[in-house]
Amino acid sequence: MRNTSKRKQIIIYIALIVWTIINIFPVYWMFTFSLKSNPEIFGENIIGLPKEWLWSNYETALTTGNMWLYFMNSAIVATATILITLAVSLMATFALTRLIWKRRKTMNKFFMLGLTIPIHASIVPVYVTLSRMNMLNTYWALIIPYAAFSLAMAILVCVGFMNEIPRELDESACIDGCGVFGIFFRIIVPLMKPAVATVGIYTFLQCWNELMFANVFISNSALRTLPVGVQALSGQYTTEWGPIGAALVLATFPTLIVYIFLSKKIQESFIAGAVKG
Amino acid sequence: MKKILALILALCTVFMFTACGGSDSEEAASDGDQVTLKLWCIATESDANRPAYLQAIEDYEAAHPNVKIEMEAFENESYKTKIKAAMSGGSAEDLPDMFFTWSGAFLGDFVAADKVACLDDVYKNNYTSEQIPDVMLSTTTYDGKHYAAPTTYNIVAMYANMDLLKEAGWDHIPATYEELTKCCDDLLAKDIIPFGCAGSETWCVTEYLEPIIQKSIGYEDLNKIFAGEGTWNDEDIKKSVDTLQDMIDKGYFDPSGIALGNDEVKANFLAGKTAFYQNGTWNTGEVADADFEAGVALFPLMNADRATANQAIGGPSDVLAVCADSPNADLASEVVVELGKEICHYNYLNAVGLPAWTPDYDTGDVKPLMIEISDIVSKCDGMTLFGDTAMSADPAQIYLDYVAKVYGGEIDGQGFIDGLTKDLQ
Amino acid sequence: MNRMYSNRVYIAIFLLPALVLFCGVLIAPIGASGYFSLYDWNGLAGKTFIGFDNYKELFTSDSIGFMKALGNSLLLAGLSVFLQLPLALALALALGNRIKGERVFLSVFFMPVLISTVVIGQLWLKIYNPDYGILNVALRAVGLDNLAQIWLGNVSTALPAVFVPILWQYVGYHMLLLYAGVKSVPTELREAAMLDGATNGQVNRYIVLPYIKPIIKISVIFAVTGSLKSFDLIYVLTNGGPLHSTEVPSTLMISMLFLRNRYGMGSTIAVLLILLCFGFALLISVIFKEED
Repeated sequence: MRNTSKRKQIIIYIALIVWTIINIFPVYWMFTFSLKSNPEIFGENIIGLPKEWLWSNYETALTTGNMWLYFMNSAIVATATILITLAVSLMATFALTRLIWKRRKTMNKFFMLGLTIPIHASIVPVYVTLSRMNMLNTYWALIIPYAAFSLAMAILVCVGFMNEIPRELDESACIDGCGVFGIFFRIIVPLMKPAVATVGIYTFLQCWNELMFANVFISNSALRTLPVGVQALSGQYTTEWGPIGAALVLATFPTLIVYIFLSKKIQESFIAGAVKG
Repeated sequence: MKKILALILALCTVFMFTACGGSDSEEAASDGDQVTLKLWCIATESDANRPAYLQAIEDYEAAHPNVKIEMEAFENESYKTKIKAAMSGGSAEDLPDMFFTWSGAFLGDFVAADKVACLDDVYKNNYTSEQIPDVMLSTTTYDGKHYAAPTTYNIVAMYANMDLLKEAGWDHIPATYEELTKCCDDLLAKDIIPFGCAGSETWCVTEYLEPIIQKSIGYEDLNKIFAGEGTWNDEDIKKSVDTLQDMIDKGYFDPSGIALGNDEVKANFLAGKTAFYQNGTWNTGEVADADFEAGVALFPLMNADRATANQAIGGPSDVLAVCADSPNADLASEVVVELGKEICHYNYLNAVGLPAWTPDYDTGDVKPLMIEISDIVSKCDGMTLFGDTAMSADPAQIYLDYVAKVYGGEIDGQGFIDGLTKDLQ
Repeated sequence: MNRMYSNRVYIAIFLLPALVLFCGVLIAPIGASGYFSLYDWNGLAGKTFIGFDNYKELFTSDSIGFMKALGNSLLLAGLSVFLQLPLALALALALGNRIKGERVFLSVFFMPVLISTVVIGQLWLKIYNPDYGILNVALRAVGLDNLAQIWLGNVSTALPAVFVPILWQYVGYHMLLLYAGVKSVPTELREAAMLDGATNGQVNRYIVLPYIKPIIKISVIFAVTGSLKSFDLIYVLTNGGPLHSTEVPSTLMISMLFLRNRYGMGSTIAVLLILLCFGFALLISVIFKEED
């Protein structure tokens, strides 16, 4: 009995370690080839650490490849999207959970439709609308659609959290003379911090990684976001892997560094996003 | 927390204002008669046309200080999406004043939708037909009206690495198909791969297939077929397809090519990995600069009954046009034709393309390989425009699908002509 | 307070921004797509009303190959449910059993979810490269030269080659959801079963699985709708090629729109995509309800 469970334990560990290697290896390979020259990548030293650390690959990616610019663009778009998503979804959630009106259950379900709508399915109408409003080739061309598509998940998460805030708090604030805005800003919003973090992280990952809209709605290369920039760069340097690797690392490391420090919070945000439904 | 909320609210207000008032700032543009014209093109940093664009723009701005040309370059494939989407989106503010486009049906769709300004007046008033031969405008003429200015002019040519040919015992490029197969066999015997062709970009496959078809049925019949007036159901087209597949089966093509892009295949040729590379003559500069002795020729004649040896696939496919909705359409029309002429000039000097416009400048510095190609062209008795440029988007895509199937070995010659006859007629 | 909370002005102020954003960017475009889908339209010149001809053509035409694209994405959905989810579940159960290094494993397994799909796509392009890719190099190194392939260029291997990274990337996501579920099983339940002499396997089978069924349902819905929506990785790796062997509805839609200028047909695919996503989400909910 003891023995078999020991053996089982070992098998489980081996399986877990194999899966760990499968998960880490591509990332490890990416990091190493971003610092190598073509001859090393192509044969001399395929999986080892770089013999000669070629930081010039990063220089190429940042300067000729404009990765720094793309990086800032992505950061601007992500920040604005998160702020708008938070503002709009907190307000809507307040209306859906606190304010009293007839069809609010139906309205909540209506918003939840957004969870299943594929982002690519609306590309043409959204494009035409943005174009009529003279908003193509601005950050707004990405921020508004991204915020709209993050909305369903954000409301879902916020409704869950807001329902847990006891209504007595509202009542006592009301008795103290707070108006609706007072209750919203002074009581509800400060208590929604965990939801804000969850929604923020989730929204960030959505818009940091989105490719299709960013590709079509932005034609000005000065406004490109990271995913489009990475695609463009690898089109330019098809035969030189080093700079491509450097660009891939540059696009990835901010998320990974944040993840190392906030892994628990990030995981919770994904769990909350899915399970609260 | 309050601060954050204030920030959010402030952002929301900013957003409202920018959303409603987008076009306010543009009215100031007209003072001092200073005009800025926007040009969209595909001359990115890695594109061989870029130096010519920059030089032509610089020259124009120097000669016309009141005109500023703002050039924006996009990657080739994504540009197709971008320009079509912008044209269908409709409003003038998102469109450039001038834009790069492919001639034939690609531009034709925009012309049919009244999106392109007619350039007849400019051509009539400012240029003579000696400067720009009518045939060079034929691919951008719709209902007898001219809509674009060619920036270059290219044909499909077979580049050869003469050093590798010598290794296999050849001192000249094979002139007949029999010679070509013999030469390929000799190369293979020396472990040299004869051809490279990028399977992940189907237009590269057409650069091989179309010359074979043309050399089998003649340029006139092929023109008719691309124009939708002839029939694909032709025994000689079937044979052409089978010929290409036969070459693939014999190992004349690098098998990795099917998954590679054109840049990688070209790099293989330039690095001496393959002996031949058949593609547009815009590659001439790069090939001439390679570390080996380069030669150039047309694909050999296949069927003397219907075709001749001096026929080529190609034509002025890269052109510039003007958006009809541009507020400065008249000025842009003048600019675009002059730009086209000058880009053409510098492209020729840079060995990136043939001169669609008759050279009125010193051509002494043109690369010998480019001159060889000019000689080939001057002996040409007929041309067929690239199939995917000649046909409009939907049929072109269906055609490319079948070409891809041929390269992938999924259909043979019979399947090719049957399928196209069924789907395109 | 109730009176204050039922004031319509407040309701409007709080709800409108979200409603406008949501309807403007998500709902109205669906209507517009539905409208465009009834027209023959190249995106430029005038539209011609053709009723349901686009739908008919889509389902019958071989040269468009919609059925094949749909088949591919359903196959992906199937693999996702019957391969990816069980793997994720196994990992979740293993990690949920208070194993040493639980947090480290969890964090590593979830990592691919956070990496941009473009980066993952580019990375796998390099892994699959026929000449220098790590996969072929590894196969050659162990003497399996004949197994080395042009993975993404070969009609028979391209589809599996594209599916592998898609499935791989999201194992961690499902694992995380299921792990959260496993962790939420009350320890008393577990301990009670253990006292009755149940083995680990039996506890998992009779206590944990029934308890986390709602989460399994969510995972299945996400797996299926996610598969139907899949786009980014396929776009980066093959863009539907070679010879349409890796086409899925969304890549087909983009090529209809921007390569073939068939906006009507593209909109038709968009509409069908939305219907399919909703249809499957409903179907899965019903199946799980009936099981109870």
